[in-house]
Amino acid sequence: MARRSLLWILSLAALIVAYTLVARAISRPDVVPPAEDIAGAFAALLGRGHQLPASDMPAHHHHSSDQVDTLTQEGVTLQASLAVTTARVLFGLVVGLPLGMLMGLLMGWSRRADDYLHPIYVLIRSVPPLSLITYIMLWLGHSEAHRLIPVVYAVAVTAVIPTYHGVRDVAGKYVVAARSLGARGRLLLIKILLPAAAPAVLGGLRYSIAIAWMTAVGAEMLMAENGMGNLLVGGGMWSSRLQTRSDPAVIVVGILALAAAGWAMDMLARTVSARLTRWAT
Amino acid sequence: MPSLRVRRGAVALLALAVVYLIAAQVGRGRLPDRIWMGAHYVENVQLLPTWHSLAEEGAFLLESGILLDSVLVSSGRVFIGLLLGSLAGIVLGLLTGWGTRVESLADPWVTLFRFTPALALLPLYVVWFGYGEASKVLLIATNVAVITLLGAHHGVRAVPRVYLDAAASLGASRWLRFRKIVLPASFPSIFNSVRVAAGLAWVTIVVAELIDARMPSLGYLLALSGAYPRVPTMLIGIATVGALVLVFDLLALLLHARATRWMGRAG
Amino acid sequence: MTANASPPLLEALDVSYTYSGLTPTRALEDLSLEVKENEFLAVLGPVGCGKTTLLRIFAGFLRPTKGSVRCAGSSIDGPGWQRGYVLQEQAIFPWMTVRENLEFGLLAKGVAPAARRAVSDQFLGLIGLSEFESAFPKELSTGMSKMVEVARVLATDPALLLLDEPFGALDAQTRARMQDALAGLWERRRKTVLFVTHDVEEALYLADRIVVLSPRPGKVKAHFAVDLPRPRSVETRFSTGFLAVKRKVWEATGPGP
Repeated sequence: MARRSLLWILSLAALIVAYTLVARAISRPDVVPPAEDIAGAFAALLGRGHQLPASDMPAHHHHSSDQVDTLTQEGVTLQASLAVTTARVLFGLVVGLPLGMLMGLLMGWSRRADDYLHPIYVLIRSVPPLSLITYIMLWLGHSEAHRLIPVVYAVAVTAVIPTYHGVRDVAGKYVVAARSLGARGRLLLIKILLPAAAPAVLGGLRYSIAIAWMTAVGAEMLMAENGMGNLLVGGGMWSSRLQTRSDPAVIVVGILALAAAGWAMDMLARTVSARLTRWAT
Repeated sequence: MPSLRVRRGAVALLALAVVYLIAAQVGRGRLPDRIWMGAHYVENVQLLPTWHSLAEEGAFLLESGILLDSVLVSSGRVFIGLLLGSLAGIVLGLLTGWGTRVESLADPWVTLFRFTPALALLPLYVVWFGYGEASKVLLIATNVAVITLLGAHHGVRAVPRVYLDAAASLGASRWLRFRKIVLPASFPSIFNSVRVAAGLAWVTIVVAELIDARMPSLGYLLALSGAYPRVPTMLIGIATVGALVLVFDLLALLLHARATRWMGRAG
Repeated sequence: MTANASPPLLEALDVSYTYSGLTPTRALEDLSLEVKENEFLAVLGPVGCGKTTLLRIFAGFLRPTKGSVRCAGSSIDGPGWQRGYVLQEQAIFPWMTVRENLEFGLLAKGVAPAARRAVSDQFLGLIGLSEFESAFPKELSTGMSKMVEVARVLATDPALLLLDEPFGALDAQTRARMQDALAGLWERRRKTVLFVTHDVEEALYLADRIVVLSPRPGKVKAHFAVDLPRPRSVETRFSTGFLAVKRKVWEATGPGP
C-alpha cells in the first residue's frame, strides 16, 4: 500500500513537471497556461483576487484575463458554481434514480410489461437528453426546469438497465424460493427483490453519477447563468457564448474542480454500495 | 404470424403515436402559442405540432436536402471521432490493464482522466485547435477515449485468472497470453464500452456543433430551430438524432453477435 | 525395490505454505512427497487440506514458504508446459474451438500449423470428439470439456501431468465414464501423473499409489500401494482386492484417532 501511494505521488509529480516543461517550451500562456497562471486563476475564482486589485500587488504575479474579469464582475466564484452544479447533479440522482429503477423493476418483473415497455424504452434511450433542452424550455419557460429535466432524464435512462438485469437475471431464483416459502407482496419486494438486485443496481449507480455530471455541465454550458458550465464558457449572454476566446487557465481550474467533485462523489457511492452489499463478495 | 413479443411491441409504439396525435389535436388552439423567451415574445409556436405540419416540415427538410446533408456531416464527425477515440482509448486501456509496470504508474492519470468531464474541454479545444473541424472531432474522440479506456482497462482486469493460469502452464509467453487470452476474453467488455461511447458521442456532437455553428449539421439544426423557435424542425431533428443513435447501436449489436459467437448467450 | 532404481521425477522436500493476510492460514506443513517416472500417484484428502495449494506449487504458480520442490532434478520456478496442469475450475477457453484449444500449447511452443493439426487430429480421435473439432466449448458437456482440457495438456507432451480434481463437478455416471477415458488415455500414453481428489474410489481405480493428506495444515498421513491389475474395469471396482484396499484407505482417511 505504501509503495502504491508513493508511486501515485511520483506519478502525479511527474505529470506536473512534464506539464510545466511543456508550458515553458511553448511559452504561450494564452494557449498553455503555466502552473502559476492556473494557481492565479484558482485564487481569483475563489473570490480572493477580487478583493486585491492588481495595482496593489505589483511584486506578485497576478493572473488576469477577460474571462476572469467577466466572471468576477458577475460575482461568479468557483465554490458557488460547484455548489450549484452539485445540487443539480444531486437533484437528478434523487429524482431520476427512482424513476429509472421503477421502470427497470417493472420490465424485469413482468414479461408482459417488458414486451410493451422495451421498445418505448429503446426510443427514449436513443434521444440525447441535451438535445431536448430548448423544447423543454418552450414548454416550461426560462426556468430551472430545462437544466434539471435533462439530468433527471439521463440518470433515469441509465438506471433502467442495471435494475432490469438485476431483477430479471439475478433475483429470479431467489424469488421462486421465497414464494414457495410463502412470501408475497411487500415482503417479496423489500426482503428479496431489492437486495438481490442491489449489487447490479449499485454497480450502475456509479455510471449514473458520471452521466449526471456530464449532462449537468453540458446543460449549463448551453443555457444557465450559474454553475460550472457557465463558469467554463465564461458567463455572459447565451448568444455570445463560445464565440469569445476562453482563458485556458480558467478551464483547467474548472476541469480539475469537476474531476475532484466527480471523484469524491464516486468514492462516496463506492463506500455506500460496499456497506449496503456487505453480504456480497 | 409475428411472435407475441413483436406484436406487443408494435401495439405499444402504435399507442404512443396515437396518444401523441390525440394530444396534438386536443392541444391545437388550447396550448399557448405566444411564448416568453427570456428577452422577447415569440408568436405562432406549436408546442405539439400536428401530424400534418410535421409531415410538411419533414418534406421541406428532405426536399431541400438540409436534413440529409446534416445527417451525413454529423454522422461523419461522430464516426471519425468514434474511430480515433476508441483506437486511442482501447490501446491505452489494454496497456494500463495488462502492463504491471505501466499500470501502477498510469493509475493516477487514469483516475484523473476518468473524472474529467469531456464536455468541459470544449472551450479549451477551441483555444488549442481553433473553430474548425478538429475541435469537434477531437472533443468526440476524447469523450469516447475516456469510456473505452475504462472499458478496456477493466475488461483486462476481469479476465478470469483460470484462463491465464491454464495458458501459462501450457507454456504460453506473455505476448501469446495477451493475444489469445486477454484480447478475446476482454472483448465483450471493450465492445460494450464502445457501444456506450457511441451513444455519448451523439450527446457530444449536439454540443460540439455549436462551435462555429453553421449548416449543415444536426447540432446547429437543433440550435437554430430552438432559437426561432420552430418546433416541427426541432422535433424532427431530435427524432433524427435518436434514429441515428439507434442505427449505430443496432449495427454495433450485429457486429458484436458475429464476433462473440463463442459466448453462451448474446450479452 | 525398483523404487530406488529410478530417481523421482517430482519431489517435494519439507514443503510448508502459509497464505499471508490478516489471518495467515497454514495450508501445508513439512510435507515431503516423491513421484516416480511413469507412476500414477493419487493425493487423497478432505476438502481444505491444501491439495490444490500443493498442486499449484508443483505447477509453479506458488513458491513454498519453506522447503523445496524439484522436477527432473532442477528446482521449479514458474509455470511451464513440462508440467501439464489441469485446473480444478473449468478452464477450457470458450472463445476457441475444440481444435484451437487442443492446439494452443503447440502454438505456444511454436509448432508449425501442419504438425499442430496432425497432433490435434490424433487427440480428437483419442477423446472421440472428431465431429466437434470446430465447435465452441459451449456445445460440449462439462465432462467432455474436462476431457478436452486433459487432452490439451497431453498434446504438448509434458513430462508430467498435474490433475486437480478434474471430475469433481460431474455426476456419478459421467464421472465413472471419464475415469475410464482417463485410464484408457493413460495406458496408451504413459505419463507420470499426480492426481488430486477427495474421492477414495476414484483414487483407487486410477492410481498405482495413494498418499493420504491430513486436514489443514496438510501433511502426509499415510501411503498405500494399489497393486491391482491393469487395464481396470467395472469388474475391478467390485473385486475383493479393490474392496480390501478401499477398507484400509477408508479407515485411514476416516475421522478415527
